[in-house]
Amino acid sequence: MTGALAVYEKELSSYFRSPIAYYVVAVFLLGTGYFFLYSLFLAGETTMAGTFQSMGILLTTLVPVISMRLFSAEFSGGTAELLLTLPLRPWQIVIGKYLGAVTILLLMTACTAVDLVPLYLFGTPETTTILSGYIGFVLLGMACLAVGLFFSTLTHNQIVAALITAAVLLAFWFVGHVQSFQRSDTLRALFGYLSFSRHFVDFIQGLVRTEAVAFYLVVAGIALTLSTNYLKWRR
Amino acid sequence: MSSDSAVIALESVSKRYGSRTVVHDLSFTVGQGEIVGFLGPNGAGKTTTMRMIAGYTAATSGRVSVCGNDMATQNVEAARMIGYLPERPPLYDTLDVSAYLRFVAKAKCIPRRSIAGELDRVVAACRLEAVVRHEIFKLSKGYRQRVGLAQALLGDPAVLLLDEPTAGLDPGQIQEAREVIRAFGDTHAVLFSTHILAEVTLICRRVAIINHGRLLAIDTPSGLQRALEETHRVSLQVSGPAADVRDELRAVKGVITVDVHPMPGQSEMVAVDCRVEPRHGVEAEIARVITRRWDLHRLERQAPTLENIFLRYVNTPEAP
Repeated sequence: MTGALAVYEKELSSYFRSPIAYYVVAVFLLGTGYFFLYSLFLAGETTMAGTFQSMGILLTTLVPVISMRLFSAEFSGGTAELLLTLPLRPWQIVIGKYLGAVTILLLMTACTAVDLVPLYLFGTPETTTILSGYIGFVLLGMACLAVGLFFSTLTHNQIVAALITAAVLLAFWFVGHVQSFQRSDTLRALFGYLSFSRHFVDFIQGLVRTEAVAFYLVVAGIALTLSTNYLKWRR
Repeated sequence: MSSDSAVIALESVSKRYGSRTVVHDLSFTVGQGEIVGFLGPNGAGKTTTMRMIAGYTAATSGRVSVCGNDMATQNVEAARMIGYLPERPPLYDTLDVSAYLRFVAKAKCIPRRSIAGELDRVVAACRLEAVVRHEIFKLSKGYRQRVGLAQALLGDPAVLLLDEPTAGLDPGQIQEAREVIRAFGDTHAVLFSTHILAEVTLICRRVAIINHGRLLAIDTPSGLQRALEETHRVSLQVSGPAADVRDELRAVKGVITVDVHPMPGQSEMVAVDCRVEPRHGVEAEIARVITRRWDLHRLERQAPTLENIFLRYVNTPEAP
């Protein structure tokens, strides 16, 4: 675990010494702030439901910015040659990098707590629903980051990594809509099940379902395993 | 050297990328306390070989082992014994030198209490004291190369792999880097690639010449000179008639060919180039014969240079 920890610490200091972390957090807070004010003052909702929904879409566009550099930058900068020849196992590198990115996600999420202040001042929101929404948001983010990390192992080019990740994440977000065009029940169920947004809606409504928690964790697990195996294979 | 006592051992190693074979059936060893120079033109397969030993890429066939660990299966165990400086120093530009070295030290599993001492040691060895707090992207090329060398030295690895470690350094820095490598090589195994032939004769115990992915020769610098150039060259300046000098020298035992050229501006003098057998005493015999009849102004015996040897090897057409 020492190796993974070393990679994790290096990742965090890289994030904060480059403008990326600040940029991502700032854009995310501006976006969430706008959606929150819109639903609170214009739509008159004293819940976080609308905000969470928008945070989900915003996340699928910001995750590629966080994840694109994870491995692509190592390959293009020549540092992969150091990283992959240090006494580190591929899983330690993948986990260290992944946890670094998840830390940025948690930081972004924690910053949105500012929005809760007026909510509690002017209304009586359901704390459990808000909590389950946050749990869902973090799980969604963890799955998206793992997918982004995987695409970043595949290319030297950060822009390519970001574009593929964005396309795939948006496809997973909207795949539920394809349901309506399917006659076969199996396909309808499959498209519904694969949808990142459908599972997220459960959390927004206050339901922490084992199936939904497992879904995001399994997606993250598959993406991280693929990344680890790809790093071993590319030798 | 047997492969048992070898720290680095390559046995019939090949590397193919698709249909292109970059390294063909390469075998050699590097032992403890030995500095081996790896010489070859660009694209000869030096970097690929280095990468296979470092564990960055795997050999398509054959076996690479470092300290007895097979790089195909035990590369992480072997990585603890290897300090590797790739051709392009692998630096994280946004980190400062000390944060970068600390990361490498932790990743090499150096105990936390020894990290500060290790950092001081490599910083002093590579003369980085002035830039320890600088961000890496602000460093000059020479300093970047030295930071790369410093990370390779961290943890006192048994094996040092250096891919063109003196590229981009100024003459003073090259001298310092050579001292570091030489000092390290006394007790460890060092394999380093270079274009600079003089460097090889200065610090290497053995030289491996590689071209088109094949090992052409591996020997001591003097062994290579002996093996390749069976004949040596003797050049002299004599004040005497060209034809007579030529006839006189041809009669000397051990002289193979004689070339006589007039010297511009000095009508009395001729310059002579002889190819002679490598045994001792030939030039003494030449001097005796010449001084009997004419004045001898200069006599010099020239052993073949490593440049000539290298060029002769690499200019040989690729084997079918």
